[in-house]
Amino acid sequence: MPEQLFFTRFLNAALAGPVTALLRALHIEPQYPQAPISNAVAMEVLVFGFLVLIFILLRMRLSVERPGALQHIFESIQGFIEGQSRDVIGHHSERFTGFLLPLGLFILVANLFGIVPGLESPTAFPVVPLGCAICAFAYYQVQGLKLGGVGYLKHFLGPVWWLSPLMLPLEIISHLARLLSLTIRLYANMFAGDMVTLVFFSLIPLGIPVIFLGLHIGVALLQAYIFVLLTTVYLAGAVATEH
Amino acid sequence: MTPNEQPAKEQDDKEKNAWVEMANYFQLAVVFPAATVVGWLIGLALDHWLHTTWLYILGLILGIVAGFVELIRTVTKNSS
Repeated sequence: MPEQLFFTRFLNAALAGPVTALLRALHIEPQYPQAPISNAVAMEVLVFGFLVLIFILLRMRLSVERPGALQHIFESIQGFIEGQSRDVIGHHSERFTGFLLPLGLFILVANLFGIVPGLESPTAFPVVPLGCAICAFAYYQVQGLKLGGVGYLKHFLGPVWWLSPLMLPLEIISHLARLLSLTIRLYANMFAGDMVTLVFFSLIPLGIPVIFLGLHIGVALLQAYIFVLLTTVYLAGAVATEH
Repeated sequence: MTPNEQPAKEQDDKEKNAWVEMANYFQLAVVFPAATVVGWLIGLALDHWLHTTWLYILGLILGIVAGFVELIRTVTKNSS
């Protein structure tokens, strides 16, 4: 049986039966039928629940006349993402904020979970950054197709027609490499951050780990920002054919 | 826009572009090995599917070339 965090144990105690039955119905045999929910999935569920709770609180306190602190914070974040996508993509970029903002918030909260005792960063498990990267990849491809149509597919063939049989596999590999690079960067940084913090906590429990916790917070913010920024850059490349 | 506001806006734009460039260079460090691995994996998958033994080498070569193309494209785009 793998080591389980408190929340994972709680989820497995409540949902192990139905989850195992669902996995078996999908012809997937869980490695541990008594504990099919891993720490990564449990932490993801916790991040999702936390964000939904914050959004409900925000919606309840929404006010035009007297905006509260929470509303100010979220309006700033939304303004920042919107401004950045306007700079990178150009006009009509606000239609993408609905995807970029939740993606950024999810990654940011998931990264910061690692500094809370008793919790782990879901992004320090490879499946979670891969899931986020697949969402970003699918989103920019779909937007490119939706807005550019056939023109977007032509973009895969390169500028010179007789080179297109060579350019097509190269472009496909380049796009799939983006998926892998988004995943590896986020996973490796968060895993390394967690490890460094853990090692220094076990070596010197007082004082010094605070520096590494600060570093971990910095890395968490920077990696969430870079993930969203790169998604915006890919999105800009995909929808550029429209203009 | 007043004459004083113009340089401030230009400075702000430069800073924003610097962040985008930084993200591009961050991605450049990973995209070259990633393209190589992706090409190799596609080749391996094709070998498995078509029962051949040489497509992984072709995939590996295409992956390396794709990595170089992406590298040159990003560098020339940012330096122009």
